[in-house]
Amino acid sequence: MDKITLKVTRSGGKGTSYAVKYRKGMTVLDALTEVREKQDSTLGYRHSCRMGICGSCGMTIGGLPKLACQTQISSLNTDTISIEPLHNMEVVKDLVVDILPFFDLHRSVKPYLIRTDVKERDHSDREYRVLNKEADKFLQFDYCIMCGLCYAACPTVALDPFYTGPQAIAQAYRYMADPRDEGWEKRIDLLDTSHGVWRCHVAGACSFVCPKDVDPAKAIQLARMEVLKKRVLRKHAREGSRPVPPPVAGVAKEGVKPPHFDFGGASK
Amino acid sequence: MKRDRRFKAGVISSLNPVGFSTERWSYTVHRITGIIMVGYLMAHIFETFQLGGGSSAWANTMAALHSLGPLEMVGLWIVAGSALYHGGNGIRLILNEAFGKFMGKPILPVYPYSPTSLGKNQKIAVWTITAVVLALWVWAGAYLLAGLGVI
Repeated sequence: MDKITLKVTRSGGKGTSYAVKYRKGMTVLDALTEVREKQDSTLGYRHSCRMGICGSCGMTIGGLPKLACQTQISSLNTDTISIEPLHNMEVVKDLVVDILPFFDLHRSVKPYLIRTDVKERDHSDREYRVLNKEADKFLQFDYCIMCGLCYAACPTVALDPFYTGPQAIAQAYRYMADPRDEGWEKRIDLLDTSHGVWRCHVAGACSFVCPKDVDPAKAIQLARMEVLKKRVLRKHAREGSRPVPPPVAGVAKEGVKPPHFDFGGASK
Repeated sequence: MKRDRRFKAGVISSLNPVGFSTERWSYTVHRITGIIMVGYLMAHIFETFQLGGGSSAWANTMAALHSLGPLEMVGLWIVAGSALYHGGNGIRLILNEAFGKFMGKPILPVYPYSPTSLGKNQKIAVWTITAVVLALWVWAGAYLLAGLGVI
């Protein structure tokens, strides 16, 4: 494969083809950058970190939502690559989509720790302890980079633009599962609506395209179970974990020696 | 004026499973079979409604249906398949949604990623249902052909 052809769907739905010289290790983002630098400076696309962290370069590559920076051209097994903007979002220009409604949905589920005692939260000299086994319940959902791929892949969003969406529900569950959080009831009221958790039909498309294995489909079902527990079994919200004094520096427990690190003589 | 920026991709985008996992194909078939069953329900209500017009109206309706010949049986066979798949897959979805079955527990993501909600257990559930439904559908086809006296 010496050359590849990028078939880019541009504003207004018109397609433009670009021939790019292929080199080993080339990603779709590299190819688009080469097009913009050498062939067509008007081509619009969004990117930032180039390493799958920022989540800016989401686009539909070969029919599936993917991050352009993480998609190796060699992995697509074709020399003609179709590139479209993300589905379920309005196009601003070429491959740039309006991601603000998606961020609004994220904000709507209160993606932050809610404490009932605000004074304690804002002026505490203590910290909230989270045990490892407690963190295991929500850490997976904490890896979300808000790229919008799950939202673009979701077949429910395609039919119901007022659906809260996989990303936002996963983030709501992330905080509901956090032992420090006390906003359980508020979030459940947001999710227990006709456009909330009940709208998901478990197509699994969100988890399939997630570049960070956040697995929103799993989070939605867990959130559903939480809603069922509260609404059917009438379980009340639990109390958040109480603040504990920070450990004394260097000594975790009385009588236990601090760990010894051997740097192979580098510190001498 | 504040612009509503929410965007609706539409039915075709929603039902297109190409490139996605088995679960998304299952979703598409589930939706289509649901639509077929709603169509059948409407037709069935219309058919039964003819009883109100007396025995002659009912006889005319039946005659119109039988005039379709083998197409009537093909239609019934499609409805039987739709009901079987929709029901079978529906049970899997209830287990998914209400009890979290086949979804797995939250884990620490380790590359190469493999979401547990689309993992082995989910695949076994999807393919078991598909196999059972196909077997029952074939049996339903044989039953209908026997009714026609073909076999």
